[in-house]
Amino acid sequence: MQPLANITPLKPTARDGAVQISGVGQIYRTSGQDVVAVSEVSFEVKPGRFVVLVGPSGCGKSSLLMMMAGLRRPTSGAILVSGAPIDNPDPNRVGVVFQEPSLFPWLTAEENVEFPLALRGVARKTRRAKAGEALQLVGLEGFGSRHPHELSGGMKQRVSIARGLVQDPPLLLMDEPFAALDEQTRMTMGDELLRIWAATGKTIIFVTHSLTEAVYLADEVIVMSARPGRIVDRLEVGLPRPRSFEMLGGDTFGSLRDRIWRHIRKSA
Amino acid sequence: MAGTLGLKTARIAIVVAALVAWETLSRAEIVNPRLLPSASDTLAMLAELLRRASVRNDLVVTAGEVATAFVLAVPIGALIGFLIAEHRYFAEVVKPLLFFAFSIPKSIFLPMFILVFGVGFAQKVGFGLFSTIFIVILSTTAAVESVKAEHLMVARSYGATPAQTAFRVYLPSMLPVLLEALRISMIFNLTGVILAEMYASRDGIGHQIASWGENFQMRQLLAGVLMVAAIAIAFNEIVRSVETRCSHWRT
Repeated sequence: MQPLANITPLKPTARDGAVQISGVGQIYRTSGQDVVAVSEVSFEVKPGRFVVLVGPSGCGKSSLLMMMAGLRRPTSGAILVSGAPIDNPDPNRVGVVFQEPSLFPWLTAEENVEFPLALRGVARKTRRAKAGEALQLVGLEGFGSRHPHELSGGMKQRVSIARGLVQDPPLLLMDEPFAALDEQTRMTMGDELLRIWAATGKTIIFVTHSLTEAVYLADEVIVMSARPGRIVDRLEVGLPRPRSFEMLGGDTFGSLRDRIWRHIRKSA
Repeated sequence: MAGTLGLKTARIAIVVAALVAWETLSRAEIVNPRLLPSASDTLAMLAELLRRASVRNDLVVTAGEVATAFVLAVPIGALIGFLIAEHRYFAEVVKPLLFFAFSIPKSIFLPMFILVFGVGFAQKVGFGLFSTIFIVILSTTAAVESVKAEHLMVARSYGATPAQTAFRVYLPSMLPVLLEALRISMIFNLTGVILAEMYASRDGIGHQIASWGENFQMRQLLAGVLMVAAIAIAFNEIVRSVETRCSHWRT
């Protein structure tokens, strides 16, 4: 099939979802002033891991995510996704879920999920089938023909996740996807995401403000400092899988959360 | 949708009441029937006018002018509006000037149009276009600005080409605003053309209405008013129904 969109053709072997970030910095030029958003960030994420980025507001964690998505270019350093540089968005390698569901209100849930496939000229029937699978995966079977305004906040974000998954990218980047949801929905969505992650084996890099969410979801938490954003700590969350609600009250959970909080308080 | 029927009934009741009041005022000679011929007489005159070849010709002339002015003003205005909205620097320079121009009553330029184009088709179309283009430009700018940055970001992150972004994000985002703009532009356009006809013209329904007025032919005048009003309302309603169908997702 002739690729219609801006997609780098890739060998199937190069789709493992590993991320290597080395010496990445980003400088913004705003009205003559240079703002260093991210400075000298290096880390590596192995395929299939769930890594959470936390840090105070404006620490450049979202900028970092945008760079991994190919939506922004680093000023310095290099980013490899599945072993190849990511200079432009490549939905074959990376799926992105934004803070706002950002669904197109004129399309149904199903059509929203099909959107990335439609851009590549995938046949309608195949598209519909894949969207159906993705919607089923996020627990929205039977809601495909609804429009976004007929869905709740949590359901919209599920559609957005399904859209990120529909092309089966090995890496899923999530920029505070549950920030706009209420606490209850947020907890449920966290469990749902862990279920989807376990079912698909994807690498997930997840940005959040919530320390509880970070520890609850992650294999590893990367803590960033306030501007200029640098890595100040990396914690391995040793809690067993599957995670459960009872762990939130445990000592391991508490001490991990405190350790992150101390870093953030220092730089805030 | 409870009460829709009730609302419709109330609306019809107001129209009927107005017609009844009109008929009574005239028939009972509360208002001089020479100034206000009765509703029934006016409607009878309307039917008669529509049978006259000269009136039908006037309608064709006006329709031609309106359509030409519209077909010119909409794409030209939309293109200018789009270019303005897409270039931040240009937009910042030009937008206040456009607002200034928009606020000037267009009718004061009418004598100039006659001096430049003479009395005829070009003068009326030119003035119609002039009356319409500013609102088209401003509405298009608003329509482009109604496209959400987050939607563009989504399109970009899934590797959309510029053409795909235009057709799959810009167009559907802008459609409801554009249809509304189209409808409002037609109101300005019709006003412009008819005003030009009433001011100086040899034909067209506006010219007829003006001359009926000057000659104190009240029945013809009122029938003409009803005719133009009906045409304007019909166009407006057609576009509005398309608008509703295209923007069911807007809440």
